[in-house]
Amino acid sequence: MANTDPLENVMLELRRGIIVLAVLSQLGQEQYGYSLLKLLSDLGLEVDQGTLYPLLRRLEAQGLLQSVWKLEEARPRRYYVISAEGKKALPRLKKEWTSIVTIMDRMLA
Amino acid sequence: MKLIDRYVTEVGRRLPLLKGRRDIENELHSTLEDMLEDRARKAGHPAGEDMEMALLKEYGSPQKVAATYNPMPYLVGPRMYPVYLMVLRIVLSVVTIVLLVVTGIQIATQSPATGGQLFSAIGNGLSSIISAVISAFGMVTLVFAILERYVPAEELKMEDEKEWDPASLMKEPEPAEVKIWEPILAIIFTAILLAIFNFNRELLGFHIFTDGKWTVLPGLTDAFFRWMPLINITWIAEIILNGILLRTGRWGLATHLFSIVIKIAGIVIGYFLITGPSITALTPETLQATGIFDPDSAQILGTMAQQGARGIIALIMFLEGIDIVKTGIRLVRQGSLQAA
Repeated sequence: MANTDPLENVMLELRRGIIVLAVLSQLGQEQYGYSLLKLLSDLGLEVDQGTLYPLLRRLEAQGLLQSVWKLEEARPRRYYVISAEGKKALPRLKKEWTSIVTIMDRMLA
Repeated sequence: MKLIDRYVTEVGRRLPLLKGRRDIENELHSTLEDMLEDRARKAGHPAGEDMEMALLKEYGSPQKVAATYNPMPYLVGPRMYPVYLMVLRIVLSVVTIVLLVVTGIQIATQSPATGGQLFSAIGNGLSSIISAVISAFGMVTLVFAILERYVPAEELKMEDEKEWDPASLMKEPEPAEVKIWEPILAIIFTAILLAIFNFNRELLGFHIFTDGKWTVLPGLTDAFFRWMPLINITWIAEIILNGILLRTGRWGLATHLFSIVIKIAGIVIGYFLITGPSITALTPETLQATGIFDPDSAQILGTMAQQGARGIIALIMFLEGIDIVKTGIRLVRQGSLQAA
């Protein structure tokens, strides 16, 4: 359904930008898609499944994540974990984030 | 779990086959099962069909879910779109105009006997133009869709992605940017004129069907064709000029002067065509000889053809003259700007 409230769209855009950083920051330990979704939700970030799964695949294709199928309990699950390249990228992204927050705090104060 | 299986199959059917479809299906399946299990645990009873349906409803329609995995939901993407539009405009206008001219010539030279034949000739012509335009549109789109998918982004850098040098703004802006389709159309038209006037002169006559046989009534006299070598030179010069414009993309002093010379040559030839012996072979006598026209209407039509041919040439000369004056004024203005 099309989102009719323009403000709602702006907020979605704002949130969308930080999902990559949030995902990379939480994948120091391996997680499967649903457990990552719950983990992010517990930390206060609600991410739509339709956004998260394609994003995980894209980050893997870019080499920032790696994944492996594991058979555990009742069913196989695909586990994602940050790759060596992702570990190198993360500090840069964090730095960028800190600088954005500093600038915006200054502006909005 | 039947519903989840079917749901996953429905999503899979809408995914690209080669790009890890099975992988996506497996992951979706295991996620949905995890979610269902989670809900059952929270509800305190095993998952039933109701719970499954509620979950799938929340997850979204298979189309929507599959679309989130589609990395390229377009045929021709934003990178190619401007070039695509430009090529489409050129191709479609060239195809339309060339076919209009060809159809017009065909209808005029076949001079259908009845009004009905004329209408059906026009109808056939228009429908073949429309189908040619549609297939040209399809071909261009197909080529771009293939380029979009199989040419890596870095190999097909578009103009605005290349490194842009702000120093290019320091140069005097030239007001005379050439639109790319102008020289292309000019070259094609001139080439068609060259071909018709030199190799297909019968197209310039009128084909008349009387008494069970075709008679060709030539439209132009030998007095006209004597000037062909000079006319050819101006047309070839016109093609060369437009070739240069296509390469440089803008009018400069040299191209302006070149075009003025061609236009003056055209006016001079036009002057001799008007003042010399008649250039059109359509006279009251030849028209009457066809047997279609009675002496009176042959007289009127023949005189109209004679005057009309001179009138058209005079009009062309007049328009060329205006063009020369406009170009001259522009060149003088540019000259005084640069001197200032």
